[in-house]
Amino acid sequence: MVGTRGRGRRVAAAAAVLALVAAGCGGGADDGTVELRYAWWGNADRAELTQQAIDLFEEQHPNISVTPTFQEWDAYWQRLNTDAAGGGLPDVMHMDYMYLREYADRGLLLDLNEQVGENLDVSGTLDAFADVGTVDGARYAVPIGGNTFTMVYIPEEFEAAGVEVPEDGWTWDDYDAAIEQVSESSGEIYGGHDYGTLIWVLELQLRQEGGELFTEDGGLGVDAARLAEFWSHMQPLRDSGAIVPTSEAVEVQPLATIGAGLSASEFNWDNQLARFTGETDRELALAPVPTSDPDNLGQYLKPSMMYAAFSRTEHPAEAAMLIDFMTNSPEVAQIFGGSRGIPANTAQREGAEYNEVDQAILDYEDAIFDQLTVPPPAPPAGAGSLEGEFIRLGETVGLGEATPEEAAQEFIAYAEQTLGS
Amino acid sequence: MAERPPAKASPDRPARRRARPARAGREGAAGYLFLSPWILGIVLLTLGPMLASLYLSFTDYNLFDQPEWVGLDNYAAMFADERWRGSVRVTLVYVLLSVPAKLALALAVAMLLARRRRGEGFYRSAFYAPSLLGASVSLALVWRALFMQDGAVDRTLSSVGIELGGWVGNPDYALLVLVVLAIWQFGAPMVIFLAGLKEVPQELYEAADVDGAGRWRKFWSVTVPMISPVIFFNLLLETVNAFQVFTASYVVSNATGGPADSTLFYTLYLYFQGFTDFRMGYASAMAWMLVAGVGLVTLLLFRLSRAWVYYAGEDGR
Amino acid sequence: MSATARTARAAGPARRVREALRAAVWHLAALALLAVLLYPLAWLLGASVKPDDIVGSPELFPARPVADNYQRAMEGVAGVPTSVFFGNSLILALGSVVGTVASSALVAYAFARLRFPGRGLLFSLMISTLLLPFHVVIIPQYILFQRLELIDTYVPLLLGKFLATEAFFVFLMVQFMRGLPRELDQAARIDGCGYWGIFWHVILPLSRPALTTAAIFTFIWSWNDFFGPLIFLNSPENYPLPLALRMFVDQQSNSDYGTMIAMSVLALLPVVLFFLAFQRLIVQGVSSTGLKG
Repeated sequence: MVGTRGRGRRVAAAAAVLALVAAGCGGGADDGTVELRYAWWGNADRAELTQQAIDLFEEQHPNISVTPTFQEWDAYWQRLNTDAAGGGLPDVMHMDYMYLREYADRGLLLDLNEQVGENLDVSGTLDAFADVGTVDGARYAVPIGGNTFTMVYIPEEFEAAGVEVPEDGWTWDDYDAAIEQVSESSGEIYGGHDYGTLIWVLELQLRQEGGELFTEDGGLGVDAARLAEFWSHMQPLRDSGAIVPTSEAVEVQPLATIGAGLSASEFNWDNQLARFTGETDRELALAPVPTSDPDNLGQYLKPSMMYAAFSRTEHPAEAAMLIDFMTNSPEVAQIFGGSRGIPANTAQREGAEYNEVDQAILDYEDAIFDQLTVPPPAPPAGAGSLEGEFIRLGETVGLGEATPEEAAQEFIAYAEQTLGS
Repeated sequence: MAERPPAKASPDRPARRRARPARAGREGAAGYLFLSPWILGIVLLTLGPMLASLYLSFTDYNLFDQPEWVGLDNYAAMFADERWRGSVRVTLVYVLLSVPAKLALALAVAMLLARRRRGEGFYRSAFYAPSLLGASVSLALVWRALFMQDGAVDRTLSSVGIELGGWVGNPDYALLVLVVLAIWQFGAPMVIFLAGLKEVPQELYEAADVDGAGRWRKFWSVTVPMISPVIFFNLLLETVNAFQVFTASYVVSNATGGPADSTLFYTLYLYFQGFTDFRMGYASAMAWMLVAGVGLVTLLLFRLSRAWVYYAGEDGR
Repeated sequence: MSATARTARAAGPARRVREALRAAVWHLAALALLAVLLYPLAWLLGASVKPDDIVGSPELFPARPVADNYQRAMEGVAGVPTSVFFGNSLILALGSVVGTVASSALVAYAFARLRFPGRGLLFSLMISTLLLPFHVVIIPQYILFQRLELIDTYVPLLLGKFLATEAFFVFLMVQFMRGLPRELDQAARIDGCGYWGIFWHVILPLSRPALTTAAIFTFIWSWNDFFGPLIFLNSPENYPLPLALRMFVDQQSNSDYGTMIAMSVLALLPVVLFFLAFQRLIVQGVSSTGLKG
């Protein structure tokens, strides 16, 4: 029959669509096991380690099955934001300090205090990190590890140029002179890079002057004049060719300039040393950041990443168990070493096995440990998107397409529109 | 389609007469039945969403909270938004550079190919190939590599003494990388031109020969008027498409529209506003401005076409 | 052409020599142009087997080609092997082909062969959607599918295909079906066929060239599609190849240009094969309807 065959075909087509829906959604197991979705950012190396840790957890909790997904930083936040807008987040996820308040304010995160003492132990958290997961009295996150800012550099290049090893308390003028000298003497490699894209360097400078990047009431702690000064300070270095031109830095992205062999130094978080080591064959070392006040480096121990759970998870107890295991178990620390930042939990900090890179980071942090301060409170909602805008405007200034003053105005306007909205 | 199926001999039986209204009614019902997927689609996925985005364009909406009516604020904000103005400029420059160059190259190559029969099929396919492949992410990545510092283009130019460095990181040249990628895909309009050129009656050229017209003169007096409908068709299609380019700029600029917004196409900025910053109201307003802009340009092209597009057969009327 | 006309009057042998010379020059010019045009493709192929210095190396093909890049490319990205991305692309492409061809044929039949009130108006409406920027519907579509919790599934990407939203293909089929002789419908009606019967037994089999063209283009477009999946998909395990490729580039910790290039070749391969297999139909499809490549 002609008609029935046609109907059959349409039914088949509809069935195919339904099958695709089912394939895309993924079903939950119905045999008493609890399935936890766990999302984090990182790369394939971290994926391998994470899987080892998960295997260990599942061994100890045979009734819980963990399904991990991961993406790189930008893609991760893009996805998490989309999921959040859709009202469905993974049961357990990695949280960043810049996004913590935003997610907490939107009611997306579980108050883990409900689980403390039952399924979650936070007593081992470093004193400096006691409050980093707390927003308005509720514990929305548990820190995984910590890092601090640094200048990664190639000692060989600095020595060849006759520049002294940067020391605790060196000034921004010392920095400028050192960079200039390395560039001049090498002829092949730039001494430094255009740090105008790094909002973290601005934060450091503000803290060295006694200020903060964000005010207590959640506004921006910098005005247009100071911001313009931040961007124009590097102009002589740009003009003299002492730092990597932005046009070259843009082309090698997502490589860092030091990783791409363009520069002899780069500002970044110290746990990024592992990444740079993978990108270049040169030997790298860590130095404290320059300061305008030798008694105040402005540096603090920042939570490199944190665990958080979804407020509407169907399995809050199991989510807490996973977080508990990941943040307390010395075996987990042995798996990850310092690759997620030096562990924020004392038992893990001592129980971890550190490789050469981790050890270098640990030594660096120990050397300036006395100068590190408690982290500032969680940045205001909307802070997460400021970082991207800062990069864009920093590049625009670096390329000479906007004056520092214009860019400063634009950033202030953007921040006013974004923060707390 | 170029090929028409052979008509089968119709059976030699007289058609039975049917009551006309009844049949018309049934045919009408059948028509709508066959049409139903499309009607569902256009209501659900086109007209409905268009109305919704028109409404959203008058609101402030971030997906989390309820849409909040703000009247014309979004539209007003656009004109005050320097990045928006920049994206309009970038898009217009792109359209104005890429479309004429692409069509000129397409016509030139089509005329080259139209002169010889031997190997025509091979050449036609080979010249067309980039048009098909150029839309993929792969080619955008190749383009990025070719135009980087020390890449093939930089090396070639350096060897003749032109030191421009990498194009991708240079705000003055980054847009050109995308323009070149667009021109590279001239195959589709070329194939259409080729079909048009074949329709030009040979007698017209012979008549022009008799009048002693040179090549240039014949091009302007015979070829261009005769294929003007095809030129117009290509112009319209390429222009409308160029306004909506997205993937190439997204990939070549590493999802930034940079350096310094020099490749921030309108559609890219719309995407960032809507799907990165979740400013759905603003993005909707931008989308409607795009519709208005493209509509205006289309209208303008149609209006202007009256002056230069020549449809054979119109003379007889 | 005047040139040929003039040479035709010239003496025999001299004419032939000149003609041959002319042909040689013509072929040389065409080939030279082609070489420039296809250089990026050759570069892509060559770079994919280079052991190192992908961007900067001056030679097109390395003296000693290596397959390492391809091996690493198959490992995939974000913990998902490349074969999964291939499978996803294939599901999307085949789903699109089935949906587009089936729905467009139904709709085209109505527009081309049936008379019903409002046909002219609806046809113009359909044609006008050809020029409508996609962006004006994408945001509400996104919100709609998000409310239905269909984000990160293939429904938003395929539903439209099953509802004949690709007006180009409807148009292509309408043009074709209009060219089929009306007498066939009459004959079939006499044999007792209804409208469905005519469509199924007469129109559809005869429209095979148009259906094939639509199928080929749908496959290639879907295979290359980047914007749709970018908007509607979130999880790497659901990504088709173009998105996976982009994600690979994004990997902060990945400086591996060779792998990326090899993956690009793999992503392009099905399109190239399709082109080689169906180039005649593809080029005809373009020349008769202005389908964008």
